[in-house]
Amino acid sequence: MSFMTVTKMLLESFALNCQLFLITLILSLPLGLVVAFGSMSRWKPLSWVSRFFVYIMRSTPLMLQLAIVYYLPGIVWGPAYNLPKMVAASLAFILNYAAYFSEIFRGGIQGVPAGQQEAGQVLGMTRGQIFLRVTLLQVIKRIVPPIGNEVITLVKDTSLANFIMVKEIIMMAKEFGNKAMIWPLFYTGVFFLIFNGVVTLLLSRCEKKLDYFKV
Amino acid sequence: MSILEVNGLGKRFGNTEVLKDISFTLDPGHTLAIIGSSGSGKTTLLRCLNFLETPDAGSIVVSGQTLWSAADPATQSEKEVRKKRLHFGLVFQGFNLFPQYTALQNVTLAGQLLAKERPDFKQNKKAIFAELEEQGRALLDQMGLSQRADHYPHQLSGGQQQRVAIARALALKPDILCFDEPTSALDPELTGEVLRVLRELADQDTTMVIVTHEMAFARDVADQVLFMDGGVVVEEGSPEQVFGNPREERTKQFLARYSN
Repeated sequence: MSFMTVTKMLLESFALNCQLFLITLILSLPLGLVVAFGSMSRWKPLSWVSRFFVYIMRSTPLMLQLAIVYYLPGIVWGPAYNLPKMVAASLAFILNYAAYFSEIFRGGIQGVPAGQQEAGQVLGMTRGQIFLRVTLLQVIKRIVPPIGNEVITLVKDTSLANFIMVKEIIMMAKEFGNKAMIWPLFYTGVFFLIFNGVVTLLLSRCEKKLDYFKV
Repeated sequence: MSILEVNGLGKRFGNTEVLKDISFTLDPGHTLAIIGSSGSGKTTLLRCLNFLETPDAGSIVVSGQTLWSAADPATQSEKEVRKKRLHFGLVFQGFNLFPQYTALQNVTLAGQLLAKERPDFKQNKKAIFAELEEQGRALLDQMGLSQRADHYPHQLSGGQQQRVAIARALALKPDILCFDEPTSALDPELTGEVLRVLRELADQDTTMVIVTHEMAFARDVADQVLFMDGGVVVEEGSPEQVFGNPREERTKQFLARYSN
């Protein structure tokens, strides 16, 4: 099998990794913000539920979470309730990453000195104005590096979806392995390197954009 | 008539009574210096005046209007307080400038946000913003910072940052401008430039309440001095009287520590 054929087949399966990456990123960031506000809520039950969710998602292996989301509905309610593989994978990834993002958001929001809020208050700003015009950009500046770490990890983690038979790039490469071709497996590294290279560039551009002020 | 009247103000944090029955008045154009050791309740008093803390007792009256009263819950809603707090301005010990805005933007931001509530905002937005910018530049000029208008806070020295913070507070034209130890976070060689600005403001008859450890400055600039200890006003009077001829033993002890 030629190099070009292998490349093309790996690229096709890598599309699944990219899909999983994008859907997870797009949905887990807002969900993470909701969970962060839940964890910081002064209403105790909400704060407990949010923190318990974070505890569960961060303390168990992502692979196990994938298996539970994929197999459990079918076992409990019957085969009709089995989720399609990619849906199950997306769901597990979104919940898992929302938990991590929520803690980053919480740290970022709580890290803004109380004096910033107070300065806004004595200048007659509303809570909404203080959050949008004073706090938010400072939070974003603080969280870009840790969020970046998670995003880069997410790119690599997408290959864990092969645990529930999603035919992503590593799984594809292993199939070549069955035909006594090991090099395609090593070759997958290049795809991750290129993808994360782009991600790293974008992240450093973000950081540069926010370099004009210090917090 | 006095511009500020504080009656029987009280505040407790849990079981600790940090302010007990604080009462005083301040005449328009006068400068009140509040002195006292750390933990005496000076800063809490200032924060109560600016509604950053909610008092448990007493009332705050500005120009005859009761802004806040423990007896009247109608004065305590967040919306009411937001409007009324603009009678006061506050300059913090740690400046608390907004780091993502230039000096000029720091000065004009609150004015721009308040302007949005004006009925003519939509038609006159450009003119209103231009006027606010002009005012902001004039204030920075007054602070000796016209060359620094487009600098970000981290590009300014502590003394410059504090002067921007003063301009920011002045921009909303408060009736009473409060300062919480405005020079305590500064290197000694930078306190002079901030004190000079305060002196100028006093000369222009700005009504001010200044919590300070700068005794020489308080003596020089204040029209009225309040010495606090343990959450109560121990002694109040003219600077000549409080510094030159204190009646209370606690005042004497406190001042003795500063004269050495």
